[in-house]
Amino acid sequence: MKARGWLVGLALAALVLLPLFVQGTYYRFLGIVVFIYGIVAVGLNILAGYAGQLSLGHAALMAMGAYTTAILTKALAPVAFFAVTGLHIWLGVIAGTAAAAAFGALLAFPALRVRGPYLAMVTIAFGWVIFKVLQEWVSVTGGDLGLAAIPKAQIGPYIFDTQNFYYVVLALFAVALLLQQRLVGSQIGLAIRAMKHSEIAVSSVGINVHRLKVLVFVISAAFAGFGGTLFAHQQNYISPDNFQFFSSVFFLLAVLFGGAGTLLGPAIGAAVLTLLPEMLHDFEKFRLIVYGGFILVTLYFLPNGVMGLLERRGAAPAGGRSARHGVQPDFAATAGASLELDNVSKNFGGLQALRDVSFRVAPGSIHALIGPNGAGKTTLINVIAGFYRTDGGAVLINGQAANISSMHDAARRGVVRTFQTMKLFGDMTVLEHVLIGLACHSGAGFRLLGRVRAREQAARNLAAARELIALVGLSRFEQTPSSALAYGHRRLLEIARALAVQPKVLLLDEPAAGLITEEIASLAEIIRKLRAAGMTVLLIEHHIDLVVSISDRVTVLDYGAVIADGPPAAVQRDERVIAAYLGPAHALA
Amino acid sequence: MYFFLQIATSGIATGAIYGLIAVGYSLTFMTTRVLNFALGMWVMLGGMLTYSLLVLHGIHPLIVLPMVITALFLLGLAAERFTVLPFLRAGSDVWVMSTLAVGLLMIDLAEIVWGRSPTPVPPVLGKEPIYLGQVSILPQQLIIIAAACIAFLALDLFYRRTLTGKAFRAVAYSGEVSGLMGINTRRLQAVSYAAAAALAGFAGFLVVPLTLAEPQLGTVLGLKAFAIAIIAGLAAPRGILVCGLGYGALEALISGYFYTGIRDILGFLLMILGLFLKPEGLFGRGVEERA
Repeated sequence: MKARGWLVGLALAALVLLPLFVQGTYYRFLGIVVFIYGIVAVGLNILAGYAGQLSLGHAALMAMGAYTTAILTKALAPVAFFAVTGLHIWLGVIAGTAAAAAFGALLAFPALRVRGPYLAMVTIAFGWVIFKVLQEWVSVTGGDLGLAAIPKAQIGPYIFDTQNFYYVVLALFAVALLLQQRLVGSQIGLAIRAMKHSEIAVSSVGINVHRLKVLVFVISAAFAGFGGTLFAHQQNYISPDNFQFFSSVFFLLAVLFGGAGTLLGPAIGAAVLTLLPEMLHDFEKFRLIVYGGFILVTLYFLPNGVMGLLERRGAAPAGGRSARHGVQPDFAATAGASLELDNVSKNFGGLQALRDVSFRVAPGSIHALIGPNGAGKTTLINVIAGFYRTDGGAVLINGQAANISSMHDAARRGVVRTFQTMKLFGDMTVLEHVLIGLACHSGAGFRLLGRVRAREQAARNLAAARELIALVGLSRFEQTPSSALAYGHRRLLEIARALAVQPKVLLLDEPAAGLITEEIASLAEIIRKLRAAGMTVLLIEHHIDLVVSISDRVTVLDYGAVIADGPPAAVQRDERVIAAYLGPAHALA
Repeated sequence: MYFFLQIATSGIATGAIYGLIAVGYSLTFMTTRVLNFALGMWVMLGGMLTYSLLVLHGIHPLIVLPMVITALFLLGLAAERFTVLPFLRAGSDVWVMSTLAVGLLMIDLAEIVWGRSPTPVPPVLGKEPIYLGQVSILPQQLIIIAAACIAFLALDLFYRRTLTGKAFRAVAYSGEVSGLMGINTRRLQAVSYAAAAALAGFAGFLVVPLTLAEPQLGTVLGLKAFAIAIIAGLAAPRGILVCGLGYGALEALISGYFYTGIRDILGFLLMILGLFLKPEGLFGRGVEERA
């Protein structure tokens, strides 16, 4: 980490000094182009690399920035006041960035519903529409001929030429990289990276995935638009050709080549992919061939991009070095709530998955929900945790109708779940998983300002996270990516992540599935500790030994209806339960 | 009414081409979840090969067709082996880049071999329009519509009636389980990719007399076909034909009644709207995400 910091500093110093040793404006011009493309690539990296949302429309967002500032500054330039102060440039840059951000938000709405190649198509279509509008709306955009004589960047009466603009853009590029680093290292950054792996799991810890996605699109688009404004003031001439589909492809290639989801990847990608074709001037005819071949060769040997090879981890855990002890996590103080189901029904087409299910889970108790496969147990959890809406009946928390509207809403009100088929965040570390869970109550913020408070919060979160990791016995694996954990440890990590949200009611969906005997024993121990701390636990489980040994009360579900409810020993002897599990013959015997 | 029919007819011919290319996306998506992002360039390659064999070498079109299809199928096999297979396991996005890279290579190669200037290719059955009542249609457009219908019918029969076709659908559902059932999923993946390339080549063969032979001929075609595959739903080949024909007609009507400039703007806006309202495609069946 340290060593890389030095390298980046050294590279920056070299870029600052470079123009002193190289003659002519050509190289400065190239440098400016690299930095501008770099800024756009950083924006795309946040979206595609970190958040996992593929975009092939970033050239259009860049065009929004470029055209907005071009039109605005051209209109304002004749005014004497602006000619003297250069304020129109500032206005243009701000307006251009804002316009791109607004379109980013617009683009996010379809992205809430589609993903993968479908999202790629939406972004392509978006880029295409913008491109065509630029071509056709001649009175405003100049059509195919574009806009010429865009004012140069200016501060006061001082107008930047290529010589000096180099330094301005270099500084802005450095700022963009710094912003990216701060974003990725923040609580929101953690959630953004987690979203790439499982949106459902992110919402299960109380984060509004829709808002998060819109935010990511807006941030990413703002970078692209900002790059676009710089481009317009550097080139002084823009036309739709600058923002074709292939430009969008270029940016995605730059991000993937440099290393998607790495801090320096976009910088490297933008530099190499801009400079390489320039160096191939003599081979004009073979440009795309060398380009395409180069990409393929890179993919073979650098599957995760250049930086992927050098940098194993995208970001250091927030506040990783400032661990402070003695800060108590709040979870022990959490008072469990009661959970009541009142005639809850849920249908899927003609199938009635839940029929008038009613039972009560007492606060601070361990309540088991059992039943044969397909009885509707997971459906019930999905209803309680806000993943499905009920078709009838109500869920009551502490005696009040909950009206839970979504999974993050449930989590925020203290109803937190784990998943039967585990949903972890791929290559993110154990610590990071738990930190995301803590985001819900620590007021997740993208804190660029107020660093002191943010640091204190980070330290508190870190201590709380460590406490929870210790509780489930994963302290040794704090820095291990979840994908490298053993199966049983993954189950425990799911529980730790859920606990981080400080649940009043914890819903465990088959936490012991696939565990070996010793692991089940330690799981039982953990659940008992939670009850001792006052938490309410609703446990779906097939391991009857575990259920009988730890639960205070058991509800049995069969074909979507409650067939028994009572203390474990009584339920065990219930004829209908025996019939449901073993068939009627055994019940009679 | 006459004007409407006239425009719609030629639009449907364009739509048939869109449909043919679009079903190529569906072929690979169903088996590997991979899309050949440069399929339009493969259409171009088919078109340029046709131009080369037909015009430059004077070979009969009925011989040119199997030559083009075979060539593209073999090239598709090679491309799959060297630019898709190595990345299938690597990461989700890498194939986007590798298939695009192949497309870039193709454009440049085509420019070197055939030059940049657009060249006309004579239609197989001449340029005299055929009259159906008042509505005129070019013989080439008729061929295109007929060929697309035959191709789709064959594909549909293949999927539903043959064992290999059923294996394709099984792999689409779950590659892992299909493997356990003794299906050679690896071969199906390669063949589906090559078949998509061959279909693209077929589309290129059909369309090149209507456009001009030039290295950029496939880029926009590929993009629109992609849009159609997505609107219809990548796993719904029948829907793709319907959407392709419909989109072609719609496009032609927009150009006919408004003006050409706004055609793609409206078309793509509709597509975004459609995806927003029905994310899995008009004909796709939604797979509810489980928690």
